[in-house]
Amino acid sequence: MNRGRLGKYSLWQFRDFVIDRGIAILIIGFLWGYALIAPFRAARGPQLQLNTSSPIWPLLITVTSSIVSVSVLIAVNGIVSTDRKSGYYRFLFSKPVSVVAYYVQLYFVHMVGVLAAMLVLSGILRIIVPDFSIVNYLLYTALIFMAMGGIGFFISVATRFDWVTLAAVWLGSRALRDFYGAKPGLAGKLVQVLPPVHKLDVLANSLITNGSAPTSDVIWLLAYGSLFFVLGLVLLRQASLAD
Amino acid sequence: MDGVPPACELNGTAALVIEFRNVGKTYRSLLGNSVTAVEEFSLQVVEGEILGIAGPNGAGKSTLIAMMLGYLRPTKGTVEINGLPARTYIERNGIGYLSELIAIHPKWRADTALVRYATLAGISDADIPLRVDEVIEKLGLAEHRDKRVKALSKGNLQRLGLAQALLRDDQILVLDEPTHGLDPVWTQRFRGIVEELRRPDRTILIASHNLDELQRLADRVAIIDHGRLQRVVSTGYEQNAPAVTRFRLTLAGGSDRIRESFPLAESAGRGEYDVTVRSIQELNAALADLISRGALVASVVPERSVLEQQFREAVGESQ
Repeated sequence: MNRGRLGKYSLWQFRDFVIDRGIAILIIGFLWGYALIAPFRAARGPQLQLNTSSPIWPLLITVTSSIVSVSVLIAVNGIVSTDRKSGYYRFLFSKPVSVVAYYVQLYFVHMVGVLAAMLVLSGILRIIVPDFSIVNYLLYTALIFMAMGGIGFFISVATRFDWVTLAAVWLGSRALRDFYGAKPGLAGKLVQVLPPVHKLDVLANSLITNGSAPTSDVIWLLAYGSLFFVLGLVLLRQASLAD
Repeated sequence: MDGVPPACELNGTAALVIEFRNVGKTYRSLLGNSVTAVEEFSLQVVEGEILGIAGPNGAGKSTLIAMMLGYLRPTKGTVEINGLPARTYIERNGIGYLSELIAIHPKWRADTALVRYATLAGISDADIPLRVDEVIEKLGLAEHRDKRVKALSKGNLQRLGLAQALLRDDQILVLDEPTHGLDPVWTQRFRGIVEELRRPDRTILIASHNLDELQRLADRVAIIDHGRLQRVVSTGYEQNAPAVTRFRLTLAGGSDRIRESFPLAESAGRGEYDVTVRSIQELNAALADLISRGALVASVVPERSVLEQQFREAVGESQ
């Protein structure tokens, strides 16, 4: 008996990503970017200079980094839970393929998809903002995918309501860190184990603008996301696909 | 054969393929409530066998199959296929599986869905078009192959589900309610397809509510109720001569002789009579006597099949 041709199936997974998520990411990213730049161009005309010293550069970084976060959220939303909720797993995994290998591949296919979408968006942005580095932006995207995507993957394995849960974890971590992060005592210590979302603003600015970032922050984000990704795989291996 | 065996083991030389060993599944809610879906279930299925699984709604059939495919973890016991944990076997070898609920992405086209499943099944690029065309032809889906899954009728969707199960020449086939939604023509054809699939080295499991279907297709039927194996019934008449069974006789001629051979025959009108016998031997002797008296027998139909009778005894008349 032949084993399943999972590698070949990645082309179908990529096609599904483009149709189900990629187009949505491009539309949202384009409209968001347009909504930011169009008013400035309308006010200052085509001679508007958008470079790293421009007063609206920080705003540009905020918007472009937010587009990455939303794109990762879209990319990992339901990555495992949809197959379980809809019952698609039944036919997929009666074939000779490993459930874990299937979802590892799907995760990285989605990562490639998000990178491709960000490549298109940053390519368009670069036409009017020559200082905007596509390479730096893709590095930032890859880092956020690993950090946020890893947590999203775990949540998608663990719960059926992954979109809401991931958004709550992400925003909740941010709020709790803002509130308790600087306070002494147990609460201040406990929030330190929450997802390191507080590092994202600084990281986005330094990585997208300069192409460099504090190594400890990068490692912390990567380790946090990777740990949850691996925990998700362990849970996938140990838990039932059906309810 | 009758009674409630703690385990049902087959004798003979056929190789053991599937083994449920004291399997149990209990669902527990966060509030601490628990529901036992399957309990102390032990059963062996051998190579070349078609095993039916029958039971009323909620008996635990689908839970058993989900555990056999490794989609559900038993809370107790083990399920092995060819000596391996079920999930390990499937990840290495695959099985042909038709689920009760046909869940295929609604936006996929019928034929591309089959191409995708064929890819996952390990069929080579060169062979995929051939295999896909074969199953489309076999299941009568040619005119629907370009349609999206969401546009297929219930019956066509069921056939698409069956088509994907037949893509590979799998050693094990598991069909959960396979004729659900099929019209009478395709129900009949399905039986022919299963007969074609019967092979000395292939094991087929069919879970169904349809006792008549299981009576015709399966070698043995495991009757389950309340998550427990109630009994395993062989479907052949010769091994299971009933103690008392009613048959309906239809006579095309010589109706006036019926009571000479069957003194207690009850008329059901239009040349039909209900007769009660203690054994198949008694039935045949009485029929021979009736025919020798000049009666013309058009049909003899058991009021209940052996399986139906056993099923009613196992799960109660209320079912």
